[in-house]
Amino acid sequence: MQRNLILGVCLGAFVISPVLAEDLPPAATGTIDYETQIKPIFESKCLDCHGEDTQEGKFRLDRKSSLVRGGDSGEPAILPGNSAESHLIRLVSGMESGLVMPPEGNDRLTGAEIGLLRAWIDQGAVWPGAHGAVGEEKTATDHWSFQPLAAVVPPALQSEWIRNPIDAFVLDRLHQHHLQQSPPADRRTLIRRIYLDMLGLPPTPEQVQAYVEDESADATQKLIEQVLESPHYGERQARYWLDLVRFAETYGFETNRERPYAWHYRDYVIESFNSDKPYDQFVKEQLAGDTFGDLRGLGYLVAGASDQVKSPDVNLTLMQRQNELDDMINTTGTVFQGLTLGCARCHNHKFDPITQTDYYALQAIFAGVNHADLSLPLLPEQEEERLQLQTVIADLERQLGRFRNVLQANGTVEAFPPHRAKYVRFVIEATNSAQPCLDELEVFSGDRNVALAKHGSQATASGSLSGYAIHKLKHIHDGRYGNSFSWISNEPSRGWVQIEFPRVELIDHIEWARDREGRFSDRLATQYYIESSLDGQEWKRIASSQGKIPIGELKKRTAAEQFGHLPPEQAEAARQILKKLEPARQRMKDFTESLRIYAGNYSQPGPTHRLFRGEPMMKREQVTPDVPAVFDHLNLAADLPEKERRKALAEWITAPQNPLTARVIVNRLWQYDFGRGLVDTASDFGASGSRPTHPELLDWLAGELITRKWSLKEIHRLILNSATYQQASLPLPEALLADAGAQFLWRYPPRRLEAEPIRDSILSVTGVLELKQKGPGFSLFEIEAENVRHYNPKTSFGPPEWRRMIYMTKVRMEQDAVFGVFDCPDGATSVPRRTISTTPLQALNLFNSTFLIQQSELFAKRLERDAPEDRAAQVRRAYALCYSRPASDDEVNLALKFVTESGLPAFCRAVLNSNEFLFIQ
Amino acid sequence: MKSSSHSSFPLSRHLLNRRMFLDNTVTGLSSIALSMLLAEQGLLASNEPSSATVGGKEPIRPKIDPRQPFGARAPHFPAAAKNVLVIFCSGACSQIDTFDYKPELIAQHGRPLPGAEKLVTFQGEQGNLTRSPWEFRPGGESGKMISDLVPHLRKLADDICFLHSIQGKTNTHGPGENFMSTGFTLDGFPSMGAWTTYALGTESQNLPAYVAIPDPRGAPQASVNNWGPGFLPAAYQGTDFNAAKPIRNLQRPESISEQLDSTTRDFLQQLNNRHLERYAGDSELAARISSYELAARMQASVPEISDLSTETPATLRMYGADDAENTLKAAYARNCILARRLIEQGVRFVQLFNGAYQTGGEGVSNWDGHKQIKDQYSVHGPVFDQPTAALIRDMKQRGLLKETLIVWCTEFGRMPTFQKGASGRDHNPEGFTCWMTGAGVKAPFTYGATDEFGYKAIEDVATVHDFHATILHLLGLDHERLTYYQNGLERRLTDVHGNVIKAILA
Repeated sequence: MQRNLILGVCLGAFVISPVLAEDLPPAATGTIDYETQIKPIFESKCLDCHGEDTQEGKFRLDRKSSLVRGGDSGEPAILPGNSAESHLIRLVSGMESGLVMPPEGNDRLTGAEIGLLRAWIDQGAVWPGAHGAVGEEKTATDHWSFQPLAAVVPPALQSEWIRNPIDAFVLDRLHQHHLQQSPPADRRTLIRRIYLDMLGLPPTPEQVQAYVEDESADATQKLIEQVLESPHYGERQARYWLDLVRFAETYGFETNRERPYAWHYRDYVIESFNSDKPYDQFVKEQLAGDTFGDLRGLGYLVAGASDQVKSPDVNLTLMQRQNELDDMINTTGTVFQGLTLGCARCHNHKFDPITQTDYYALQAIFAGVNHADLSLPLLPEQEEERLQLQTVIADLERQLGRFRNVLQANGTVEAFPPHRAKYVRFVIEATNSAQPCLDELEVFSGDRNVALAKHGSQATASGSLSGYAIHKLKHIHDGRYGNSFSWISNEPSRGWVQIEFPRVELIDHIEWARDREGRFSDRLATQYYIESSLDGQEWKRIASSQGKIPIGELKKRTAAEQFGHLPPEQAEAARQILKKLEPARQRMKDFTESLRIYAGNYSQPGPTHRLFRGEPMMKREQVTPDVPAVFDHLNLAADLPEKERRKALAEWITAPQNPLTARVIVNRLWQYDFGRGLVDTASDFGASGSRPTHPELLDWLAGELITRKWSLKEIHRLILNSATYQQASLPLPEALLADAGAQFLWRYPPRRLEAEPIRDSILSVTGVLELKQKGPGFSLFEIEAENVRHYNPKTSFGPPEWRRMIYMTKVRMEQDAVFGVFDCPDGATSVPRRTISTTPLQALNLFNSTFLIQQSELFAKRLERDAPEDRAAQVRRAYALCYSRPASDDEVNLALKFVTESGLPAFCRAVLNSNEFLFIQ
Repeated sequence: MKSSSHSSFPLSRHLLNRRMFLDNTVTGLSSIALSMLLAEQGLLASNEPSSATVGGKEPIRPKIDPRQPFGARAPHFPAAAKNVLVIFCSGACSQIDTFDYKPELIAQHGRPLPGAEKLVTFQGEQGNLTRSPWEFRPGGESGKMISDLVPHLRKLADDICFLHSIQGKTNTHGPGENFMSTGFTLDGFPSMGAWTTYALGTESQNLPAYVAIPDPRGAPQASVNNWGPGFLPAAYQGTDFNAAKPIRNLQRPESISEQLDSTTRDFLQQLNNRHLERYAGDSELAARISSYELAARMQASVPEISDLSTETPATLRMYGADDAENTLKAAYARNCILARRLIEQGVRFVQLFNGAYQTGGEGVSNWDGHKQIKDQYSVHGPVFDQPTAALIRDMKQRGLLKETLIVWCTEFGRMPTFQKGASGRDHNPEGFTCWMTGAGVKAPFTYGATDEFGYKAIEDVATVHDFHATILHLLGLDHERLTYYQNGLERRLTDVHGNVIKAILA
């Protein structure tokens, strides 16, 4: 926008330029009377479209309150006292680019009329009479989902079919629609259904058999309890949640780089479901885990895409930030409240009572959240672990330092072949600054420092800096380290210091430093040589700065480069130390990385403003952090610490009075168990969403959730134990004609499995599924690590790729080459319910892919292992594994004929592609 | 929704499908008959209607039979075009050096762009106005001025409808490609081709309804999002393959003989048909059965359509597919021939890419000429020009342009200035050129204009939404009524924007 304005001014000759403020017609003089001077303008020019009968853009000019509030644009039409900034004046003068009012050219206001309006606004927009009243307007709504939960009593129906209150609600509805419930599903169908619904894996033939043979009255209840306790429950439930929160492990956009620490959030979600974390706590941790106890939950806030391509273009940068925040606002509204808030970014919501101000009030809550890694704080035992590791590494580093050809201020080692000497001289030719300083010059014979004064050595120098007790020549060999016991030359950049031993010594290395305590690195000798002599006459150069590796370069050098200057024995000793050091360093790196999670970083934001039409450059009034006004006001200060803002939002969402939170989540659970929610627009409980098919049941379940301490397993338990859930799924012609989608639940609605349970089921029946949980995921891509990442599908698979698909590293926009086409979400936006489409590409992938062919062969091998040399038994085993039922004799004969002609792998390929294997029934 | 008159099948087609379907089915007749009955009564699952209307207009949702998601469906009103071929120059092809002739830019060459002293574009500050290194000359009888970079296309000037005033809203490639292909700068929205096949299905029951043909060098910057289904059912995503790289998993595995493959497929259908007997009337089951049949047909038809050996030497020469000197041009030319063959067979929507990010990025393998535009475009021009021109001529000769709309586009334009300290042009979404030819558009015709230097659209400014609205209109679709319900919104290709550019309609 700014760009447009700059050019608009300068290229005025050929660019249509917006009118500027100084071009506005001047305000009229004198006191303005509304009735005689203003009302006639509105009546003749405006009220046809913005009056009593028609309110285009939900805006009317026949009452002052509407002018003050504004219409759909979210922009107040007048700011009493400030006509130049008032939207109404800007619109009628053509100052808002792209929009002029009235739209028809010959209706436009004259300069005089605009002048009258300006004066009226500047004088406070006095509007006598009832229509001039502007009160505190509370937006009222009678929309069903915004009302408090109703206290519901299940219908008093007498029926043996009813097992719990769910059934009473459902049966009541069925009767109203002249439909009948179906008979109970047989046990094999039921156990398979429960396993696939709740765990995403088929039951083993042994599990099926045990359940079928269990004659106890509570056999099904026990089965349900087992399933709810399974660690695979969380893996299945987490998939729904990760779809919902647009979780992926890359940034998206064109570079689409990896987020290597994002998987912690996936594990957090799985653990939360498995431990049946109360839903209110689960929500709180995701919005404000830094307040409510689990930082990993914060991964939710930054689970969405973010653009890594930065530019000096300010407009672009601001827009990118707005998009990030929009992602958080939208997802939060959608996931927790079933509200579509994104529409209000540019104008007031068209269908729901959400204003633009509401939107930016929510933006103020998230304004301090940034996309980044976060480091977990250390637990006490981890502190201890790190200290130990650090000590080991420091010790090894010190040992290694003796051998390295490295120049560093806190200690440099000069190694040379052992030789005899009585004198050693250190000659400095250049420093990194000022006069050179040495804190101690140590000359070793083996592990004995022969330079020490206390052993009788003498020190001399080219000259010493005067006037400082801490810098004296004697400190060069007093055995004390650090700047406070050091020698400094009297000349800038140069000088020498010499040690004479009391006798000839066999010396093998020298250690020296600017400051062994590591506080100072100035005055460092950078060009120097060291020489020795037996007689003080003839000197031999034994070491120098030449070839020294600067400390920062060390990690790039190989062992050979680091130790190449050493005699073979010393080099070998150094390599031995390095061999211990490298794994220790790796452990430290792993340790540090284990604490890193992709959960955002948090900074106190500046003020948040409403943005006209959502344009980042068009700031309007400041807004304070808040929730939509139709529900509540949080009364938070504009400069509240950002952490407190998220905490306040989390508490508001999880308060039992919030009409949406419990309704939305129980409806999702219902959808997970039946394929479709009681409200089939699971993320839109607003005016454009569907109404519930069973509103009383929805409220009853929501009430139960709160009563039962937000336990999600309790709701699943209620559903799974209901006769409704345990019905058969067979189609009945008359019922199909009346209710094809079974929304009134005259049967359990069968459906195709999603991508993940298909893949997991295949791996499970072929016997190669790796049940390893937690930790970094596996990738189904070879990654080309260019600036823009390229993800090329892998073409061979082994045990690492045979984990459950929830552990597959989720790449935004790039789908797994085999199962992606089974409607996997792309991680761009929240997906409340997957589409289930049927395409020839799915058929091709499942019938021809390397993955499937390999699995068919593995399956054949497994069958041969399970039932050696008995074709009929192998066929029966395949039926038991894939369909959870015995094969009929007819089916066995048909299969045997095929296996004889075409082989067992071909039979397996067909079975793994068959409808009965891929559907929940 | 009482819009069935717009979206039900023509009766003959329906019967044909029914017969084909029954012929392929051994058992389960009663269940299929029931599915049919349900489909006819409109009771099968469709994208659920909501109470909302869009801008006061009632949405028209295509009635999709789940067994035939690609079955041809009628447009909203009589259409000028049945098929679309989009040619997409990835990397932001410069309007300044191709189609947007500006004498004033030549006159002011070497001077600053007035008012742009503080202008910061994608990579930074601006140098001076710089004329194109290529001369412009008149083309066709219309005398349209077009540059020496694209001489073959210049000869077709009389067939083309130029839009010089397209305006984007982002200056980054990924979002820009998203915007041009999906109407949104963010990832995850359905592509133009997905919307089209969702609305209209396809005439060809042996080929994918929507094909994306990536450049021989690899994928464009926004990659699969250019032909993704977004939140539409996965059925409507583009299937990507080109003349050199076949559809993934199309062919039976090497280890399996043709005979074994076919007996296995028969056995699978037996398993499925037996199962269907127990679930008579469940259309999803029937849909999966028929998807394997379409897959089998594609196994035969796709290799056939990709086999260019049946093309005459004259055709290959016309496209430059036999150019041994310029193998890149030859490879792109083969993609152009493939595009024509797909349209010929009734594929509804084809998207042909020129330029890839994968193998070089900035300017090397695509049109992103930031630093060395002369050297880089000297490579890209010849690769693009002759094959593309031949494609248009060939389709015209064969009468395909009577029912096919060809659209040429790019994600945004480039600056009339060179970047400070470089010999190339930075990104510029303020005004750039796209063009159309074929069914339903005026030609020769020029719509809209940029300023005297080619920087910013000033006359008949057309947004990308307008461009999309116009393409849908030519297909007989009302862009305000073609919707899909997602998370509380009736989503459209054109979001809440877009006006059909009526001036260019024939």
